[in-house]
Amino acid sequence: MTILDVQGISKSFGGLKALTNVSFSVEEGAIFGLMGANGAGKTTLFAVIAGQIKPSGGSVSFRNRTITGKRPDQICRLGISRTFQIVRPFAGISVLDNVIVSALYGAAASNSHAEAREAGIAALEAVGLAGSADKLAGELTLSGQKRLEIARALATGAEMLLLDEVMAGLTPTEVEEMIATLSELRRARNLTFMLVEHVMGALMALSDRILALDHGVPIAIGTPAEIAANPDVLKVYFG
Amino acid sequence: MTKLNLDIIGGPLLVLAGLALPFAGADYLMGIAFNLAMWIALTQSWSILSAMTGYVSLGHVVFCGIGSYVFILTNGTLPMPVALACAGLAAGVMALVIGLPVLRVRGPYFVILTFGLAELAKNVIVQIETSLGQFSRLIFDAPALDTLYFIMFGLAVASTAAAVLVRHSKLGRGLVAIRENEEAAEAIGVPVTRLKLIAFVVAAIIPGIVGGVLLLRTSYFEAAQAFDPVISFSIVTMAIVGGMGTVRGPILGSLAFVLLSELLWARFPQLYMIILGALLILFILFMPRGLSGLFERREARR
Repeated sequence: MTILDVQGISKSFGGLKALTNVSFSVEEGAIFGLMGANGAGKTTLFAVIAGQIKPSGGSVSFRNRTITGKRPDQICRLGISRTFQIVRPFAGISVLDNVIVSALYGAAASNSHAEAREAGIAALEAVGLAGSADKLAGELTLSGQKRLEIARALATGAEMLLLDEVMAGLTPTEVEEMIATLSELRRARNLTFMLVEHVMGALMALSDRILALDHGVPIAIGTPAEIAANPDVLKVYFG
Repeated sequence: MTKLNLDIIGGPLLVLAGLALPFAGADYLMGIAFNLAMWIALTQSWSILSAMTGYVSLGHVVFCGIGSYVFILTNGTLPMPVALACAGLAAGVMALVIGLPVLRVRGPYFVILTFGLAELAKNVIVQIETSLGQFSRLIFDAPALDTLYFIMFGLAVASTAAAVLVRHSKLGRGLVAIRENEEAAEAIGVPVTRLKLIAFVVAAIIPGIVGGVLLLRTSYFEAAQAFDPVISFSIVTMAIVGGMGTVRGPILGSLAFVLLSELLWARFPQLYMIILGALLILFILFMPRGLSGLFERREARR
């Protein structure tokens, strides 16, 4: 079943065409990868889906409901949550308090502090941060802060997570751990993911389908094996 | 636990002391206590918006000024308590109206904008009063000082209670998320615009009533004085000196200032702004957690 349907999304910043007529759909429970060089429009596409950027044209629907034009907080409450490539922890409050806010305001919004705390702890456990719950978020390592980004998105109760380069800057071991974490999350919580990733191995290993973008133009879509063999993709990547 | 104990014992003690004070029978003391209660009410209300969301307002006096003006216009026609309620309501409505455009800008822009708006409001009222041929309006039937003190004391308690409630509520957690990173807060479902506006309106109502009560104490209205920017500067300094992280901060900051002003500024008023500035710099550089930070350190050591 299709959970996210993106139809003909375009976005221009002045004369720059960041996205040109991008269409694809994501099946429920799938991991959908986005690849492309720097400036290909991956993060812009995330921002359009999550509501931070209004597209110049096209539409996005989530569970057959048009979400284009809605505010980020509204889209989050419908069940889509994104992380940020450059981490944005609530640095001055504890790791646990970070995720409690998500649980209080997200898709599974709860008015009960005890419930929110429980959901928050569960999210921290899912990404392996439970031991750091009482630390200030600003004191976490980069790897920890990337995990916190995911935990905060998880704690909203989202059905679909948009993860923007959660592996960038991590050591190979940390990448392995992150891949295991995401696979486990998908299995245990039946979540749908979209990934933007420069770590190609991870993207190929995790994704069911991949969309390749070049300067905002979709050049290929298919399984990891199809993408790896696609002449257009090879041309963009290797010349 | 220790922190809780301190508040559980200290809070009611403060309230009892405040209630008992008029029976000491010294008008001088009550005058000081009136000022203390006023600054606590103002600084505590300011902290609901500014300390919680990081939107530092340098124009908090505007709500006092509007409250004063509405009070002087309605008092007499309406019974005094109703006029005071109108003052608070007017300040709240004003926050609602200016909140949407003002809260769109962050950081230094917000600071400058709030300062400018307060000055604008002052000049508009001055012009209105001048064109009406009113240079100052007098109040003749003000209640006695102990009555005024009790009202102001009630406002200080209400303001503190509101600050405590907001801090421990879902609203408060949303506001802190906005302070820490507004875009990230929005991405996890926090309706940032609505929460900021609620905080702005809540923070405005008590200063509006304070403005009315202050008029009853000074017994005349003069626009330039009702909107004096020094009031805004004092609020910000007290909040920083007291510490922005806790509800105790505004109380400690106000206490420190009222004591200092009795000891020092009453004799050397020309030094007021200089000392204000020096304290601000010293605290930001060396004690960013303010006076309440001292308590926290002691508690942490135990």
